[in-house]
Amino acid sequence: MKLQLTRTKTIEIKLPGGGGPKSATDITGVEMFSPDCEGCHAVRIVYKKKAWHLAAADLIAGPNGELPSRWEETPHQPTWELPHAFQSPHAALAVNSTMSSFSQSTTDAIVQDMMAGLDAAPVVSAPPKAEPGKRRFGLKKESAPSAPPPKPAAKPEMPNRKPEFPKTGESVSENGRRFVTRPMPEAGFHIYASLPEFQTLWVSRLLPEGRRPTASSIQVTESALMASVFLQPEFKAADGNALVIFARKNAFYFAGYKNGEPALWMRCPSAGGTTAMRNAIKKTLGVDEELVDSVLNDSLIDPRPALEPFVRPILAQLELSLAYLTSKHGLKFDHALLMGLGAGVEHWSAFAEDSLRLKLIAPDPFDGLIVDKNAKADGADGHLVALGAAIAGAEVSL
Amino acid sequence: MKSSSLHLNLLKQNEKLSSSPVRLRVMLPVGALLACAGLLLWWGVLFTQLMMTRAQAKGIEEELDAKRKEHAEVIKQRDLARELKLQLEQLDYYKAGVRSIGEPLAKLAEVVPLRVQIKDLSISRPPAQILQPPNVKVPLFGPTENVETQKLVIAGLTTKETPVISLMESLGSGFDSLVTHDHRIKSYRQDNAEADGKKLLSFEVEYTMPERRFAK
Repeated sequence: MKLQLTRTKTIEIKLPGGGGPKSATDITGVEMFSPDCEGCHAVRIVYKKKAWHLAAADLIAGPNGELPSRWEETPHQPTWELPHAFQSPHAALAVNSTMSSFSQSTTDAIVQDMMAGLDAAPVVSAPPKAEPGKRRFGLKKESAPSAPPPKPAAKPEMPNRKPEFPKTGESVSENGRRFVTRPMPEAGFHIYASLPEFQTLWVSRLLPEGRRPTASSIQVTESALMASVFLQPEFKAADGNALVIFARKNAFYFAGYKNGEPALWMRCPSAGGTTAMRNAIKKTLGVDEELVDSVLNDSLIDPRPALEPFVRPILAQLELSLAYLTSKHGLKFDHALLMGLGAGVEHWSAFAEDSLRLKLIAPDPFDGLIVDKNAKADGADGHLVALGAAIAGAEVSL
Repeated sequence: MKSSSLHLNLLKQNEKLSSSPVRLRVMLPVGALLACAGLLLWWGVLFTQLMMTRAQAKGIEEELDAKRKEHAEVIKQRDLARELKLQLEQLDYYKAGVRSIGEPLAKLAEVVPLRVQIKDLSISRPPAQILQPPNVKVPLFGPTENVETQKLVIAGLTTKETPVISLMESLGSGFDSLVTHDHRIKSYRQDNAEADGKKLLSFEVEYTMPERRFAK
């Protein structure tokens, strides 16, 4: 709790349970406004008896409202109450927003981004497609797509001053956006996340004070994804040196870790996500959506002719990332983790071994956690972001 | 090996809300206000008690002053009463010490022999009483000795020794209130006076009178 004594003098009182720097031992991670499903993936992890336990995991109803895309929409502030199983003291919210950004960059580039502020945010050009008759939780569909998003009233003109580069892990507001950065092992490079200020404020007020849980962390989904492997036994066994491929419905991401520190984050260019992969299989092999999983898992039909044209370009990009990790950080890998793919891991691994001599391992996202008997551990790939948000929010470290 | 967690938190520290139903940011000022109110009340109670104690002390002092005057008056009255009582007591002593010698003296004429002429009857003065002994500011009212002894001296003329003896024998009985048996002949000699051509003898007999007791 901060008390402002005078205009310049502020004292901070650290109260028990008041959200201080101490790590949370009971936290719920929630992935919000996912375009892939209706509802929110939620995971509750609890640290007890020197181990992390999965206390609950489920798809829960989202808040009664949509993430605002403009400052003007922020007054419509709903409150949200999580189901009883997820009512931990703290919540780490991972937000899917088309206006968010998460990447690795140089100090100057980040400062440029901070100067640009909201103007640097991606334009809301492709609102999520909602299935007819179903309500979607995601970015609000604009009534007039041709109209550009209005600038915030508080920012009538571009500032002339150069913003200060934020301290590590400190959230700062600059030109209508919220930024947080973290240095990377390569000198001069930082990984940073940003979200429009109004979205951050809107999300921060969703969970009301005085009821469990309240938000102790707001992250972008990519940031949560990156943290999701911290409890993996493979990750720990390699002392935090790992190459991970995160498969999402709309994209593939490559993440490199050096001693547990993020050394690489890259969205695989010119490749769709798992949805695109499934579409390729459906189109090439002429199968329905229901059969795609069995095609990928069973040996009755060989999916490789359909899969190879899709996977090879991704592996080519992965090779570049491998080369970067080897040359810049001296990291050599004979295997990589493939998270969130679901079906078809063996084929991916075969292609990777063939072209890169790299074995792909797809562990269960809940590996490293002790699953409580009341927790539903099925569909773990869907909970990857929520789990990562919880792990990051709990500040789990190697 | 230790590394920090990968937590890129966009939420600021001051935006974190407590999930506790007891909202500290509300309860702390309320608690502080209550504490201040409590302190003020306590101070008020103390102040009131102080005022009451002061008023009470003042009242007691005034009452004490009044009582002190009354007490001095009482002491004065008691001193006076004691003085009067002592005076009365002394009077009682004197009353008890009254010696009636008129009647024995009147009776004495009857027992004086013919040949005896009493010329002088004197009672010695009692020893002076010390009515203001040292270290006593106020003089005493009465005798310091409870017992006072006096001498009765009978001086007269006679013709011969026998009438004097006869007189002494007569005084030996029936005059207990005037004299005791303790007596002595103080003088017995030839006088210049004559009677019937004979020289007379003068005599002085000293009798110890009964003790005069100043007692109740």
